[in-house]
Amino acid sequence: MARRYDSRTTIFSPEGRLYQIEYAMEAISHAGTVLGVLAKDGVVLAAEKKVTGKLLDMSGAKEGGYGGSGEKIFLLNSNVISGVAGLTADANSLVNYARQAAQGHLFNYNEDIPVELLVQRLCDLKQGYTQYGGLRPFGVSILYAGYDPHYQFQLYHSDPSGNYSGWKATCIGANNGTAQSLLKQEYKDDIGIDEAVGLVLRTMSKTMDSTTLGSEKLEFATLTLDAEKRPKAKIYKPAEIDALLVKHDLAKKDEDTEMRAA
Amino acid sequence: MDISFALTGKGYVIVAADTTAARSIVKMKSDEDKIKVLSPHLLMAFSGEPGDTVNFAEYVERNLRLYHIRHTYALRPASAASWIRRSLAESLRSRSPYAVNLLLGGYDTATHTPELYWVDYMGTLTSVPFGAHGYGSYFALSLLDRYHDPEANLEEGLATLRRCIDEVSKRLVVSPGKYKVKVVDKDGVREIEL
Amino acid sequence: MSIMQYNGGSTIAMVGKDCVAIACDLRLGNQALGISSNFEKIFAMTERTYIGLPGLATDVTTLHEQLRYRLNMYTIKEERTMEPETFIHLVSSTLYEKRWGPYFIEPVLAGLQRMPGGSFRPFIASTDLIGCINFAKDFVVAGTASEKLFGVAEGLWEPDLAPEDLFETISQTLLNAVDRDAYSGWGAVVYVITEDKVIKRTLKGRMD
Repeated sequence: MARRYDSRTTIFSPEGRLYQIEYAMEAISHAGTVLGVLAKDGVVLAAEKKVTGKLLDMSGAKEGGYGGSGEKIFLLNSNVISGVAGLTADANSLVNYARQAAQGHLFNYNEDIPVELLVQRLCDLKQGYTQYGGLRPFGVSILYAGYDPHYQFQLYHSDPSGNYSGWKATCIGANNGTAQSLLKQEYKDDIGIDEAVGLVLRTMSKTMDSTTLGSEKLEFATLTLDAEKRPKAKIYKPAEIDALLVKHDLAKKDEDTEMRAA
Repeated sequence: MDISFALTGKGYVIVAADTTAARSIVKMKSDEDKIKVLSPHLLMAFSGEPGDTVNFAEYVERNLRLYHIRHTYALRPASAASWIRRSLAESLRSRSPYAVNLLLGGYDTATHTPELYWVDYMGTLTSVPFGAHGYGSYFALSLLDRYHDPEANLEEGLATLRRCIDEVSKRLVVSPGKYKVKVVDKDGVREIEL
Repeated sequence: MSIMQYNGGSTIAMVGKDCVAIACDLRLGNQALGISSNFEKIFAMTERTYIGLPGLATDVTTLHEQLRYRLNMYTIKEERTMEPETFIHLVSSTLYEKRWGPYFIEPVLAGLQRMPGGSFRPFIASTDLIGCINFAKDFVVAGTASEKLFGVAEGLWEPDLAPEDLFETISQTLLNAVDRDAYSGWGAVVYVITEDKVIKRTLKGRMD
């Protein structure tokens, strides 16, 4: 009988729940992990890629573009980057909406969109699908890392119901419980960007299913300020991620070279 | 016939406007407030076509207030100026354009700088150290070229403003009698008796 | 008095050897009355594409914001910067959209075009107020001092000028041309764009 309340997103079950929203959140908890940490001089995002494989053409990610493979981490505006967990196709649609909203704000007010305002714009859209009938909600949770002059660096999370909240460090997707308890133990309030990078990489390496980290499974980005105090988003390219992992001593041992040496 | 002046100084902006409301050659009122307080740190002196002025000023006031309520913080002066400019620019090419000229004086609490914008009815926007609208501008701008000092304290700034007002009283045939003067600085907006 | 002369202001762009330069005056007026001596008419659109927008001041701002919006949407979706030759066509179609109620602006563009091999080619162009593109090999001018700019540039410009020589040429051309125009002047801004850097210099001019 419970099925009767499953099919439409806008119908409450007798217990007062919206099953489709809960299913969407369930779907997200199996998606690739996305992790964010807020530092006093920047924000760090990392994401686990699920679509991998030898035959996947990643030549586009090596050069050009903003970096990243376009699966998990996106540039929304010059002052906001996002990491998405859930249905990639839904995420693409939301990313496009966010980019348009940000440019619309720049057009009207001649300033970069304040981070919370951008989050609100997306949440208004997401919330609409929990109320107006006939359609499926967006199966996506998003982490937003941003900067604006009102509240400086910020980290937000939004879920399919249209709820959002600000965080010092948080995690969405598979194993987010493990990651969050790790972050709770290790996070310090006056953490700097370099420490935050280390914390993110260490936590990722512990929560991800695979035993070793490498650029084919990981996306990584930071948001800091440049010399002129303007926000600078950096989405790492595969080679840069591998270099970073080597620096933090988390790189995988290259089995091929070891075998060749043997 | 409206006259308005504004000038920046060290950490403040002074905005002044005459208080005459006239119909043709007759003074109807002599205590009209032509400077709106748009947000805790933003002032707007408006002049132009009677009717348009108050209607447009209230439209701006309420939109900026709504933004403030929705987002808990007010738009910064530069962003508010851009939005107001766009409203006028869009109005210019509409069926019934607003004929309103503005001086926007604000204090940016994020960068701690006083800011002044000169805006006309076409939607021309420019950041200026001092500005004026109406017949007063022909007298005041040259005086301000000579006497304006961006590092002046409030007393010195008010003295410069007084020079402008006195010159207009002396030389303009139809000079207004009284002015309302408002100041915006880090502590917000307040009115000053000259 | 045409609406194109209402606020005053002029812009010029020139080609050099592996570099381009673009310059504008800083005056904003209401006919003969000067309002501001800090009204820049040149905007950086990409790292190597700069556009000058002389004409009616309200449209300078409106058109700049409109072009920035369209360029940013292109950049973020395509994940690459727009080349100057593409950009001038965007400018053209944006202006032609308002064919029967135009923006009163005559844009001037200077940039370095990335070639298939990875090298850069100087590129300048201008359009009229409804978007008819003029591709030029030497220099383009626009604004209230355009006739004077044509004359002085015709005399001073020569091919293959190095960045510093190009800076001197464009600066002298602009400053001397606007001295003969009551609606332009009050200082100037010059950009010299080379492959590895962009130099911006603010020039003092006659304040009369």
